[in-house]
Amino acid sequence: MDNENEFTGADILLKALKDQEVDTIFGYPGGAVLPIYDAIFGQNFLKHVLVRQEAGAVHAAEGYARSSGKVGVLLVTSGPGVTNVVTGLTDALMDSIPIVCISGQVPSHLIGTDAFQECDTTGITRPCTKHNYLVKDVSKLSETIHEAFKIASSGRPGPVLIDIPKDVQFAKSKYIPKKDISFREHRIKAGSKNVDKNFVQELVNHIKKSERPIFYVGGGCLNSGPQASQEIIKLVNKTNIPITTTLHGLGCFPGEDKSSLGMLGMHGNYEANLAMNKCDLMINVGARFDDRVTGRLDAFSPDSVKFHIDIDQSSINKNVKVDFHTNTDITLTLKEINSFIESNNIELEKKDYTNWWSQINDWRKKECLHYEQGEETIKPQHAISRLYDLTSQKDTFITTEVGQHQMWAAQYYKFSKPNRWITSGGLGTMGFGMPAAVGAQMANPDSLVIDIAGEASFLMNVQEIATAVQYKLPIKIFILNNEYMGMVRQWQELLHGSRYSESYVDALPDFKKLAESFNAVGVRAKNISELDDAINEMVSIDRPVIADIWVDKKENCFPMIPSGAAHHEMLLSKYDKEKPENQEKGKVLV
Amino acid sequence: MSSTSVYPTPINAFKQSKRSVLSVIVDNEPGILARIVGLFSGRGYNIEALNVTVVDIKNNLSRITIETLGEEKVISQIIAQLEKLVPVHSATNLANLSESYEAEICLVKIEFDNNEQDQKILNFADIYRSRTVQKRQNIVVYEISGTSERINKFLDDLNTIGGIKVELVRSGPIGLGT
Repeated sequence: MDNENEFTGADILLKALKDQEVDTIFGYPGGAVLPIYDAIFGQNFLKHVLVRQEAGAVHAAEGYARSSGKVGVLLVTSGPGVTNVVTGLTDALMDSIPIVCISGQVPSHLIGTDAFQECDTTGITRPCTKHNYLVKDVSKLSETIHEAFKIASSGRPGPVLIDIPKDVQFAKSKYIPKKDISFREHRIKAGSKNVDKNFVQELVNHIKKSERPIFYVGGGCLNSGPQASQEIIKLVNKTNIPITTTLHGLGCFPGEDKSSLGMLGMHGNYEANLAMNKCDLMINVGARFDDRVTGRLDAFSPDSVKFHIDIDQSSINKNVKVDFHTNTDITLTLKEINSFIESNNIELEKKDYTNWWSQINDWRKKECLHYEQGEETIKPQHAISRLYDLTSQKDTFITTEVGQHQMWAAQYYKFSKPNRWITSGGLGTMGFGMPAAVGAQMANPDSLVIDIAGEASFLMNVQEIATAVQYKLPIKIFILNNEYMGMVRQWQELLHGSRYSESYVDALPDFKKLAESFNAVGVRAKNISELDDAINEMVSIDRPVIADIWVDKKENCFPMIPSGAAHHEMLLSKYDKEKPENQEKGKVLV
Repeated sequence: MSSTSVYPTPINAFKQSKRSVLSVIVDNEPGILARIVGLFSGRGYNIEALNVTVVDIKNNLSRITIETLGEEKVISQIIAQLEKLVPVHSATNLANLSESYEAEICLVKIEFDNNEQDQKILNFADIYRSRTVQKRQNIVVYEISGTSERINKFLDDLNTIGGIKVELVRSGPIGLGT
């Protein structure tokens, strides 16, 4: 008995996606999602991007989400389809990226029988999602999808998975639109909407009292929305307080501004880490005291009063004990701080922290990012600097893989706007950048999207170049090719007596020919005289391009706080003779 | 604050310890127990005891009571992590409440050989006001409830009697703030 108000599960999914204003979905078909693919075939609001492996779909969804501020969506089949996205889901969980993953499941009556392409999807993905569902009843499907989108994007964002058995995709029920769903507050966990006035007052009092304050800004500032970035710029300008950002905080504050100390942490700037070590007031805005940032915990910023704004309660006092904290949204809290300062006519301008800034400027004189570019071999740092100089006039989105090139990109490419920098920070997923560039280009069709890559990472998801070609996405893969897993080699050099065990990448493909075989374009720069031409050619071609940049094979990434060392125990360059104190202890750390 | 036993304890068996009892209200839905247990194992926390039952059929709520060990900082982190789970309504450390009651139930089966043992068992059973569930020939089954410490003390006392065989089951602590 057909009722015209009833739809199949597959159609309900499509209606819900439309209701959620989803216009792009990354996916790969298979047996357990064929009804959904059938529904996709007969519609035109949703653009499906066929990836070449499911890992590509999840990183593309992450790149889409990070570059657009919207929820990224992907669709995969049961069994191997969904196990292939486990890395990406974990990546999105670590880096707080809102994505919704739809997975097919074997029909309900086969669940538990070790059926073909069956796996315990909700069991496998439970620890790597913010939440997940197995939908056993089609009448619950609409509500589940809407709740999934709400959870993915609320509070601290993250990945949500919905597992839909094939029979549920065929079964019929009514569709419940988003507007008719009343969400239960305890499940959404959106964080408080009330600004903590005491926190704001305490903070302003401490700003007035402090001699050596610093803002320490993380990815939470990005996730709170572009307005958060505006508010932090306003606050820094008003207070003249120096600001350092984490890897994910890059772009929340203009990197070329005089108040910016750049990135902090393991490969952060000398002045940023020293300022963190010596400050008397630390204002943490949406960062989580990650081990890559803090260095040795018992020596982390010993003399500061610490304030922490983070929507995630579990980030408070997890690694570092703070003196004051609030769980209210960053934008709301920063707005209140700004208006508190304005409405009370608090004269902060007079307090320009002269001594503090002169101390910081002394640290800056170390020129921790200095490198010597010779006549012949391209220094990787120089390649990024030139890339920045030749592309910064455009609205450019940078994605990266993981390793030395990623840190050099963070150090030498300057970001002036949020959401332009898309990298795998928490999980450190090699192979992230190219599919993420596919996602970023889908979300920003008219912008320049560049994946700054290493040749080893690039090979991990190399198949996605076909996706870029199929959808005419003119992404640029800028490979700093040193024929090594550079960061592995660097650690082996520093901590394992230069025994380069398995870190040399032998039998590399000819990346130019590789590009051509995919119907993309390959360019190459073998030495310094070819670098600018290669970059300009890469940027000018309106097709996917792989640029193979041959760089100095032995270059290491400095400055560096070795594992187990503190902020003030940085290694400055390979010419620096000082060895870290805890080298043996550091060896067991990551 | 330590929880007060629902039964009086013969001697003060409370000791300073890093033990905490957490009371968690959750939506009763598939996978919720796995989420909680997975959170503990994944983050390296201990579960000493665990109790789960539906407590509100109308609203489909379960109460989960977890006994765990850890410094205060760790316990706060566990609570923050629990409260991040979507189906969790609230997670409370009973020790943080101004007043809370705690109880555990234990069934003890004791096999004995002689009258002297029987008398000693009876004596302890009387002191601890345990309820006789069954008694036949040389086997007796008691039910005892109260704080876990109280039950520990009872079992310690029983163990001073030589030559008896004890088999037992414990529910793990449950607790309620008032």
